[in-house]
Amino acid sequence: MVKSIIYTLAATVLCIALFVFTEFYVGKQFGDFSAALETLYDKVENGDANREDGYAVRALWEDRKKKLQTFLPHNDISYVDYWLNEACGLIYTGNYELALGKIEVLKAVARSLPAAYGISLENIF
Amino acid sequence: MALVFIRTTIIFLTLLVVMRLMGKSQIGEMQPFEFVITLLIAELACIPMADSSVPLLYGIVAVISIFILHQIVWLADLWFRPVKDVICGKPSVVINRGGIDVYQLKKNNLNVSDLIESMRGAGYFNLDDVYYGLYEANGSFSALAKEEPVSSLLPLTLVDLGKADKKNLSACGLDGDGLNAFLKERGARLKDVVVLTVNSEGRAYFQKKGCNYEILKLGVTGKW
Repeated sequence: MVKSIIYTLAATVLCIALFVFTEFYVGKQFGDFSAALETLYDKVENGDANREDGYAVRALWEDRKKKLQTFLPHNDISYVDYWLNEACGLIYTGNYELALGKIEVLKAVARSLPAAYGISLENIF
Repeated sequence: MALVFIRTTIIFLTLLVVMRLMGKSQIGEMQPFEFVITLLIAELACIPMADSSVPLLYGIVAVISIFILHQIVWLADLWFRPVKDVICGKPSVVINRGGIDVYQLKKNNLNVSDLIESMRGAGYFNLDDVYYGLYEANGSFSALAKEEPVSSLLPLTLVDLGKADKKNLSACGLDGDGLNAFLKERGARLKDVVVLTVNSEGRAYFQKKGCNYEILKLGVTGKW
């Protein structure tokens, strides 16, 4: 009986710790990624972005992606991959106008993805 | 991750309520919450295992959520009697000294055929072979048997909660008119009959709504 109660409490505490950690960790990863996207956006808007800037953001995302795959469905992550690769390709060819649109989408995805797994009524149901 | 926990809890509670509402016929040898866990745990473990796009952690958190819910229900069950009654239900006495308790049967979404089937499963072939018959909270059937079985012949059900069984009537060599004549003699209408069974010697177990059962003689010609 005492053992069962201890196991239950331990499992509950572990779960709560994991929930809190996930909430902050995923938020932090996407926060960093959003900041990098903002910088890239400004550079593209000013017309002084080059392919290295795109690759730097991609390298940052690749690093974060490995960590996020434990917490988020892989389909959502590949969605970011798709738009980021498109944006990098457009920056590489110097098509800044179209690249801005792609980065805008990425910014929105980076904002909405962590929120899609947060506790809210619309996410629960 | 907390979302997985909340969603698992909601599905668990919904299934638990539905299983309780379905009555004892749907459970079979398990407490309702154990049955719900059996239903859920296979799927919870299987989906992240088979679908590589779902992180394994989702399955692990969902299974741990089920463990926590199981422990909470189990402890509540142990410590608070009213909670036990709500979650697991109470035994229902469906046969008493007066015969079949229709209210208890209906409360558990059962009919007379289900009861007779459960009795046969427990080794009793006549409704009056037992003093008391009850469905336990886990859906199994228990009975307090009489010292000797009342008959060693197999009875057929002719009327089950106001519905005549034409196949069994013809097996007994009876028709609708014969049955109506028998019921008229007893001052009963078909819809008022809880149960009427008869064996090949014509020994009939007859119970009208709101009355105790009677053992009567019914003229039958068929052999089974």
